[in-house]
Amino acid sequence: MSSHYEAPIRRPLIDGNKSYHDITVEVAAPVEGKANKLWWTAFTIALLAFLWGVGSIIYTIGTGIGVWGLNKTVGWAWDITNFVWWVGIGHAGTLISAVLLLFRQKWRMGINRSAEAMTIFSVVQAGLFPVIHMGRVWNAHFVLPIPNQFGTLWTNFNSPLLWDVFAISTYLSVSLVFWWTGLLPDFAMLRDRAVRPFQKKIYSLLSFGWSGRAKDWQRFEEVSLVLAGLATPLVLSVHTIVSFDFATSVIPGWHTTIFPPYFVAGAVFSGFAMVNTLLIIMRKVSNLEAYITKQHIELMNIVIMITGSIVGCAYITELFIAWYSGVEYEQYAFLNRATGPYWWAYLLMMSCNVLSPQFMWFKRLRSSIMFSFFISIVVNIGMWFERFVIIVTSLHRDYLPSSWTMFSPTFVDIGIYVGTIGFFFVLFLLYARTFPVIAQAEVKSILKSSGEQFKKLRDGNHE
Amino acid sequence: MSNKVIQAMYNDDDILLDAVKEVRAANYHIEEIFTPFPVHGLDKAMGLKGTRIAITAFMYGCVGFVFSIWMMNYMMIEQWPQDIGGKPSFTFIQNMPAFVPIMFEMTVFFAAHLMVITFYMRSKLWPFKKAENPDPRTTDDMFVMEVSVDGNEAELVSFLEKTGTVEIKVTEKH
Amino acid sequence: MASNKKYWKSVEELKENSSIVDTLRQNEFVEEIPTDVFLGDKENLEASSTTRRDFLKYVGFTTAAASLAACEGPVVKSIPYVIKPDDIIPGVAEYYATTMADGFDLANVLVKVREGRPIKIEPNKEANGTTNARVQASVLSLYDSLRLKSPKANGTDISWADADLQIISKLNEVKESGLPIAVLTGTCASPSTKKLINNLGETFGTVNHVVYDAVSESAALDAFEAIYGSRALPDYHLEKAEVIVSIGADFLGDWQGGGFDSGYAKGRVPNQGKMSHHIQIESNMTLSGANADKRLMVKPSEQNLALIKLYQAVVKGISTREASPLNDAIQKAATKIKKAGSKAVVITGIQDKNAQLLALAINNAINSEVIDVVVTKNVRKGNDADVAQLITDMNAGKIGAVIINSSNPVYSLPNSTEFVEGLKKVKLSVAFTMQDNETANAVQYALATPHYLESWGDVVIKKGQYSLMQPTIKPLFNTRQFQDALLTWTGSTATYYDFLKETWNTEVLNGTSWNQALHDGVFTSEVVGEVSALEVDVDAAGSELAKIKGSNFELALYTKVGLGDGQMANNPWLQEFPDPITRTSWDNYLTISKADAETIGVVNYNVANGALNGSLVELTVNGVSETLPVFIQPGQAKGSLGLALGYGRTQGLKDEMKTGKNGYQFYKNFNNFQADVTLKVVEGEHEFACVQLQNTLMGRGDIIKEATLEEYNTIDSKEWNKVPMVSLDHNEVEATTVDLWESFDRSMGHHFNLSIDLNACTGCGACVIACHAENNVPVVGKDEIRRSRDMHWLRIDRYYSHEEDFAGDVETKENGTGVLGYKNTMSDLEDPSENPSVAFQPVMCQHCNHAPCETVCPVAATSHGRQGQNQMAYNRCVGTRYCANNCPYKVRRFNWFEYPENDNFDYNMNDDLGKMVLNPDVTVRSRGVMEKCSMCIQMTQATILKAKKEGRPVNTNEFETACSNACSTNAMVFGDINHKEDTVTSLTEDKRAYHLLEHIGTKPNVVYHVKVRNTQEA
Repeated sequence: MSSHYEAPIRRPLIDGNKSYHDITVEVAAPVEGKANKLWWTAFTIALLAFLWGVGSIIYTIGTGIGVWGLNKTVGWAWDITNFVWWVGIGHAGTLISAVLLLFRQKWRMGINRSAEAMTIFSVVQAGLFPVIHMGRVWNAHFVLPIPNQFGTLWTNFNSPLLWDVFAISTYLSVSLVFWWTGLLPDFAMLRDRAVRPFQKKIYSLLSFGWSGRAKDWQRFEEVSLVLAGLATPLVLSVHTIVSFDFATSVIPGWHTTIFPPYFVAGAVFSGFAMVNTLLIIMRKVSNLEAYITKQHIELMNIVIMITGSIVGCAYITELFIAWYSGVEYEQYAFLNRATGPYWWAYLLMMSCNVLSPQFMWFKRLRSSIMFSFFISIVVNIGMWFERFVIIVTSLHRDYLPSSWTMFSPTFVDIGIYVGTIGFFFVLFLLYARTFPVIAQAEVKSILKSSGEQFKKLRDGNHE
Repeated sequence: MSNKVIQAMYNDDDILLDAVKEVRAANYHIEEIFTPFPVHGLDKAMGLKGTRIAITAFMYGCVGFVFSIWMMNYMMIEQWPQDIGGKPSFTFIQNMPAFVPIMFEMTVFFAAHLMVITFYMRSKLWPFKKAENPDPRTTDDMFVMEVSVDGNEAELVSFLEKTGTVEIKVTEKH
Repeated sequence: MASNKKYWKSVEELKENSSIVDTLRQNEFVEEIPTDVFLGDKENLEASSTTRRDFLKYVGFTTAAASLAACEGPVVKSIPYVIKPDDIIPGVAEYYATTMADGFDLANVLVKVREGRPIKIEPNKEANGTTNARVQASVLSLYDSLRLKSPKANGTDISWADADLQIISKLNEVKESGLPIAVLTGTCASPSTKKLINNLGETFGTVNHVVYDAVSESAALDAFEAIYGSRALPDYHLEKAEVIVSIGADFLGDWQGGGFDSGYAKGRVPNQGKMSHHIQIESNMTLSGANADKRLMVKPSEQNLALIKLYQAVVKGISTREASPLNDAIQKAATKIKKAGSKAVVITGIQDKNAQLLALAINNAINSEVIDVVVTKNVRKGNDADVAQLITDMNAGKIGAVIINSSNPVYSLPNSTEFVEGLKKVKLSVAFTMQDNETANAVQYALATPHYLESWGDVVIKKGQYSLMQPTIKPLFNTRQFQDALLTWTGSTATYYDFLKETWNTEVLNGTSWNQALHDGVFTSEVVGEVSALEVDVDAAGSELAKIKGSNFELALYTKVGLGDGQMANNPWLQEFPDPITRTSWDNYLTISKADAETIGVVNYNVANGALNGSLVELTVNGVSETLPVFIQPGQAKGSLGLALGYGRTQGLKDEMKTGKNGYQFYKNFNNFQADVTLKVVEGEHEFACVQLQNTLMGRGDIIKEATLEEYNTIDSKEWNKVPMVSLDHNEVEATTVDLWESFDRSMGHHFNLSIDLNACTGCGACVIACHAENNVPVVGKDEIRRSRDMHWLRIDRYYSHEEDFAGDVETKENGTGVLGYKNTMSDLEDPSENPSVAFQPVMCQHCNHAPCETVCPVAATSHGRQGQNQMAYNRCVGTRYCANNCPYKVRRFNWFEYPENDNFDYNMNDDLGKMVLNPDVTVRSRGVMEKCSMCIQMTQATILKAKKEGRPVNTNEFETACSNACSTNAMVFGDINHKEDTVTSLTEDKRAYHLLEHIGTKPNVVYHVKVRNTQEA
């Protein structure tokens, strides 16, 4: 068994005495079994929230953007805040599956499937906002360079918003195929276990007739590797480009060269937090504690801690540069950000994003499931406020004092935001019931190296 | 010649690997191997050629890159140049910095999608495609080695039994 | 029309009874149709796939399809001319010279008429007429859907014939009874109308013509009469003035009919290093005060004393003993006046004959060239004594009939209840009115009159300047002019037009052409003659004035630039027009000083979305009380309160327009200063619609650059008009010279620039309304304004200083050191000083050559035009609002809702009548698109086309925009900088010229001029 050697200090990633078959059974269980009460309640709540959101969106489109709290000075608020927030969350999945794959991090295998699912679902939410925030949604196709009856009428490739269009759509579609390709063997597994003909039909359809030939596996691994190689710069580019929306503008507080790295770090930060939130629930609900172990949570927490600190540095740097620039507009923008009418938002952002992750330095805290869950929620609140602070406090007091004003949301703003959260969970809960939530094929391939009992055996031998 | 095959089943990847080595040493021809998960070193052991799919990905990427340049040059510089915020639209190079993000995105877009499509085509994966694994357990915990038979069925069976197989089936392959 | 043409089928027809022709006639088809081949053989018929059932199916389907196809969207019909009026070319505007005279605003104007619809008012510059916001907006009142549409007798419609019969008979009764007929009109400067009123007298016994101004200048008239013998108002040529001392006179507002701003501005623009020095002593913050070089806040009662002291200092040479800041200032003023001698002028707005006498006396003493007592003005004629007399007589039953024209006494009289009582006592009460207003409902006969754009008339605004009023559209309703009615009643068959023409030919034109006069809109005749001042005991007047008692709170009533005396209260443009000083629309309110607000405990504060709220107080002025919102006004004299007249109308307006409270009820004895005022704080709060929530400049000296006259004259412009520097290859260069990119060639064709002189701009806001009218800008209403969603393309920012002046602010800002120091100074800078210096800055789209908005639009809906405009393609806009966010000037406006065709916005765009004012050359924007100033591209293009048609290059200074055209002070100059002769070209190179937020490098096409203040005191 020397081929499966792994350093004894590495703690097992698969607890308990598992055989390949056990893995199959336990991964298939949530799909084959009945949904429990917990799932149904969660689903109903999510569905209601979703419907509320749908209502608000219909109302907006029917009446006009005027039903939001925006005004002549603050042209973006909750809409783009939510957009950036969701895109940020959408970064963890690809990062985990791609970057960690490149770095050959085995611990990714327990969580990458759900992380990617989360990515896709949250990018769907994100994609919603740039569309509905348009005054004339029915002309949304104008942003695509499609040949039209005007012949020479094209989009403006200088606009960061157009870069977004390309970045987001590329990101969404690429992560989708990445995810799906990974799913094929697992769908095949479900297909071959399925007893009910309907299930069999569906899963054989979804599995594209995967048979697990040696050659297929060879290509499969190659494709995964190349996709990972492509997805890694992609994921970095996406939030970089999102940050260009602000960085390339002329508004003090937006026009900041630090944005790209700072946004990417923030994205990873909030993304991992969201992954934590979801997995901590899921490992309980679909009892997968053996595959999503404390070890995983702890590693995630470390990433959160590091990225959180990076973001913190970015905040401080911003303030320093504002002062150092000697530009009065720049200086005032940041003074106003921290001490102006929206000081409370800034305070929330600082405490949630910079302070709270520091607790993760303590092993006891970062390996406590409950605490990690709590922090993951806090971090996501904080990251929402980061975007709110950047967007609203920069706009509401910019160059000419005559146009200074304030922003306050309407029930429609809130409705749409809550709606997307609902939509997200609707999708995720459905996924949890119908998809193999663990990349079981991959997990099987590391069972011998990182499986608890195998390690015990091996380490035994070494004594 | 007949296209009978022997399907030898294994329940452990390491045993399988050894078996593969033995079978090839004995100059029997391995038709195909079905495994529930990627067994590292199997392709080497089977003597499969490395896949060239990564190269195609690179070429697709180049196509995407060139396409994006052509598209933006055509739309912004050639067909209808405009004065947008005073940015020079006289030559592609002058306006190029603004085009970089989309050049990159298009490259990735083309590379990723076309490569995956190629993979699906080559491995015959698409909706409504019938699965071809001989035994449903091959997606669970069973490893099947198909060895082609030409008249030497009996000895082959006995040979394989020695390689630690748990089950042997002789079937017609069509 | 049936034609009996004969069509030849062939030559055969020429022959008599040719067989072929017959056969042709017989069978219609030349070849026989093979019917029986088809119907004949049964098999064939059976074999055919189309069975009866199929056939029916097809029929059914086709009918269904046809009926479906018939379903269409609503069709908006446009009716073409059957016979085109020969003076109308569709798509080409006609201009008519006419005159506005509604008793409050008198102006020579040009009316732009499109397809027979007047759509815009412009100043008639040949008659050197100027327009203010109200005059500009008056065109919309023509299309007021709540106008009185036909004559009414006691509230019920009546035909003109019946009305005439009844009224004439009643008039005869009155004649029998020997009681006089009272004709109550607003300021009537029309000779022909005066003649008609006299004729009325001749026919029906005695007529006394009472002239009544809602906002009275009676005191000034009395004073002038006392000294110069004629009841008129002197004219002031402020361009000649070196020193202007104004005591409570808002001469840039509506004081003595207004219209002094153009002259004033000429004197304010420093040329050859000279500009006038303006001292303003007042209680409310007014436009004049805002523009003054030195402004003193004193209570109304103290203004009297100030005036007396000034009189003594200048005329008598007595210097005041006790030293107070006011006295000190007056001493300085006096010395300045003496120094300037005849180039100085003193004016006062105190509604007291004695005060006015003093002012005239001072001007007389220094024999000021500024005041013109020969060519006098007739813009105000009201006589308070007569009005008071009339009311008492009416109540005493001494009046037989009351005929009211062009005024609304029941609304605007302080003692309107008495007046209404009086009306009940007279035999006949008739009101000629355009609106179904308070007066119309109080009289027996409310006779509908046309709008001035539907009327004939003549006005003598100034002595010797005869203006004509001509209809520009057929009366929209069943209306008749006052003058026509008088003619009918006096038994004449002539129309007023004939009468007018005849009068002019005999009395005015002395031989010159009527048509020419009508074309010009004005006929001027040389005024000759000397006027000598009579001897009046001014000292007595002074001591009389000194007797006036003050009280610890005093009320100063004023009129807003927007609503004036309130005639046009149903005009949404004026209601939404933000007051230049308070920047608040849709309201009047009690202005109070910060100190007083604190002592009595009232507040103004911003709610979550920024909108302004204020406490309520109960104001009681000698018995009359009213609950009013308080507005804390920087520069409001301690112990004084301000309240705008013209609001609180209740009848003849849409509900949205029923804004504010009626100030006239406090207007006792037509005195705009009221002592004996008490305030009581009451529960509740008021919601203001204020468009500017940040009042100070936060020490951002580069937004409004200022310099003192000395600096301007002595120091190099680089010092006071600093250009931001940037580092290029490690050495400092001017930011304006640096360009990131190879820029586009703008030397070809036209390149438009707009120049705005902050010295000349008085903040009057005529341009705002002109822009509104020209560009079909929607009115959004009070609630939307509160949400900071005003749609004005052109706004006039008003800034207060935190310190004494803006330079002080910059200092304070720089002194704030350290994080805390910086924080504190910044929050301090947010609130204005007690008596701030004020600056106005018109801001519209700056049409940047490096426009931040253009680069960010994903769909290229906004891009740069060849002529320098930053253009908006509404059809392409998807409404991401990114451009608005990225605009450093925040001039882009988003259509949050569908403003036209929307019942929630019941303003002119949503009633069929109001729509008639829309400019057909400008798109009405739909929901969800961004809009902004287009530099009136429709006007510049029209100019270019005109020149092209006439086969000539565009003339010098021919290009105009709505705002530059409306600007009476020439603060806004528009033109083509590729055309060297255009004034704007030199202005852009002037040493005062600078761009707004130059350091961003947007390279705007709008250029501002540094505001120079003449601060040196004697």
